[in-house]
Amino acid sequence: MTQRVEKILVVEDDEQIRGFICYALSNEQLTYLTAETGHQALEKQRTESPDIMILDLGLPDLDGMEVIRQVRERSQLPIIVVSARDREADKVAALDLGADDYLTKPFSASELMARIRVARRHLNLQPAAEESSLLTVRGLSLDTAKRLVYLNGEELHMTPMEYQLLSYLFHNIGKVLTTGAIIEELWGAGYGRDTQALRALMAGLRRKIEKNPGKPEYIVTEIGVGYRLKDE
Amino acid sequence: MERARNILVTLLMLGAASAVGYLFEIAGFPDTSIAFLFLLAVLFAAWLSSSLGVGVFASIAATFVFNYFFAAPRFTFAVNDPNYYVTFVALIITSILVSTLTTRARKEAQLAQEREEETKSIYMLTNRLSDAGTRDDIVAVALAAIREGLQCGCGCLCLDGDGQPEATYVYLPEGEGSSQVRREAEDPKAILYRIEHLSEDHDEGEEFFDWPLYGGEGPLGLIRIPREAASGMDEEQSRMLRSMIDSIALALDRFRAAEQRIQSREEVSRERYRANLLRSISHDIRTPLTGIIGTSEILRGRLETGGEEWELAGRIQTDAEWLHSLVENILGLTRLQDGGVKLKKEWEALEEIIGGAVGHVEQHWPDQEIDVNLPEELVMAPMDAKLIEQVVINLLENAIKHTGPGTPVSVSLAEDPAGRGAVVTVRDRGQGIRAQDLPHIFQPFYTSDHRASMENRSFGLGLAICETIVTAHGGTILARNCTDGPGAEFVFTLPMEEEHDTES
Repeated sequence: MTQRVEKILVVEDDEQIRGFICYALSNEQLTYLTAETGHQALEKQRTESPDIMILDLGLPDLDGMEVIRQVRERSQLPIIVVSARDREADKVAALDLGADDYLTKPFSASELMARIRVARRHLNLQPAAEESSLLTVRGLSLDTAKRLVYLNGEELHMTPMEYQLLSYLFHNIGKVLTTGAIIEELWGAGYGRDTQALRALMAGLRRKIEKNPGKPEYIVTEIGVGYRLKDE
Repeated sequence: MERARNILVTLLMLGAASAVGYLFEIAGFPDTSIAFLFLLAVLFAAWLSSSLGVGVFASIAATFVFNYFFAAPRFTFAVNDPNYYVTFVALIITSILVSTLTTRARKEAQLAQEREEETKSIYMLTNRLSDAGTRDDIVAVALAAIREGLQCGCGCLCLDGDGQPEATYVYLPEGEGSSQVRREAEDPKAILYRIEHLSEDHDEGEEFFDWPLYGGEGPLGLIRIPREAASGMDEEQSRMLRSMIDSIALALDRFRAAEQRIQSREEVSRERYRANLLRSISHDIRTPLTGIIGTSEILRGRLETGGEEWELAGRIQTDAEWLHSLVENILGLTRLQDGGVKLKKEWEALEEIIGGAVGHVEQHWPDQEIDVNLPEELVMAPMDAKLIEQVVINLLENAIKHTGPGTPVSVSLAEDPAGRGAVVTVRDRGQGIRAQDLPHIFQPFYTSDHRASMENRSFGLGLAICETIVTAHGGTILARNCTDGPGAEFVFTLPMEEEHDTES
């Protein structure tokens, strides 16, 4: 498999911010192309097949949510939303529609770069992840074949639910998973919005893997949105 | 007048009976037929007068007239044939009975007619009330109907939306031609007191009798009628008045309910407008800030670390970040203090909130040491997670800013052993808070004069918003100096039960 040059599509109508994002990307020697409207974005996604999309939700012609929906109908490319909409409900809606990450304005270049690194790693990792049965992040490993968890080589005892939760996070490492998506994954659709069970399960899991559950190093909480397994 | 008319009618009837009886006698009809004629006369007299007294009077008079003119010996009250006594007695009893029945039937017919009229006028009133578009219309219709029905002046005093009597009331004076006037009401407290302490269905005042109008949620107003008119009302009239009052109260109540619906609809749209305004302000400020923060950050990355320009670019970035947090705090405070925004509470694990806040603060102060102490058990409480995270962030930032670099800051969580509350404590090891600042520390933009101006520039709003958020959650917050060494601590509590059981 040859490592090809990744193209990043920057969808942003504000010239200043588009400039800043593009500058930050070129600083990291990344190739990019830009779109100023939702229709342009959809068009370029089709014709140029970019590898990652950075998407502003407040576009002049189409709502960013609609762009996510249409892109997801035909492509699984990572979408990083950058938006001035800071309500948690907006983030959850974008993530549940299929966005991979969400940054609230104002954000720093380093935050954006961190998110792009996660997206890039996913692009390159995905085929490998399917083959390997051992997933590892900073000393925490998940053996998907034996359904075992190790911390610095030592086996941890997990309940089946805890294992399932950790496994779901591992398979989406670096990405925010919304509370609703996790509940659906673990308990099935139609379980409702009972977040209390998930909070309790998460507390138990953290007490096993984190040195201090109040300063989690592995699973961080995106308050009001969901959880993310940090990969760096 | 009435009595003279009744006597005249009776005499006329008896005269007519005598005249026809004379003809009967000539024609050779028996005496009993003539007695029947008199019976008929009594019946008519009773019917026309609708009075039992007249009936009895006519019965006795008829017997005497019959005796005088038709029983032998004629033109005397003497009687030859003792059989006539039987006729007289029968005539008296029969005519009294007949007149009793007649007057009763007549009275009932009259009563029924009156009731029908009353029903009709109440119906008309109800109809006109339901056509009334405003409260003033309702009052005008009501007063006109009362004046027409009772032939007296009347007034209507309304209570406002808060249940307080209004300063003036509408009065419709007696007499067809006069139109309504506004009069000054008495002391509202006295009026309310009288309404609340009624022993009958109305209150008897010096000048007026007042009948309260009750709606579904308490009194809506008063109907007042001048004392002399009100005290002179008969049973019939006061019943009619009560029916009218019921209809008026119903109409006013319906109007009040409609008004409340409109009001709450207006509130919703006002609320939506304000939320949109706040959102677009915050959007319009965030967008340029993104450019400033991002560009200065990149600029800084391209400059030689430690150089003068690198310092300047860093200051642009810090100032822009500070401006951002100030704007967010102002917007947050406006939203919460106006009471316009409802908290979106859900059961949250406080350790996650603390962890999130600590993570956020560490991003901005990567070198700051922050200790987190959690209990072994999971502590959950209903809250708006984002807002409580903001409280912890603000408290941590406040602690970091007011202690020197390298001074550790800690945050701990505990369950209140006495009550059912969660307790979060943020503690620093700095110089502590001066005693004179302690009472004011949660006031917006409070600045302690002994601090340097740069140092305290964000002193004010951060803590003020903490207090607002915690109070909105039904919790408490306090600041004090540590007793076991130097430093200050901020402690806030959150109730671990929902105030209103809405979720389950």
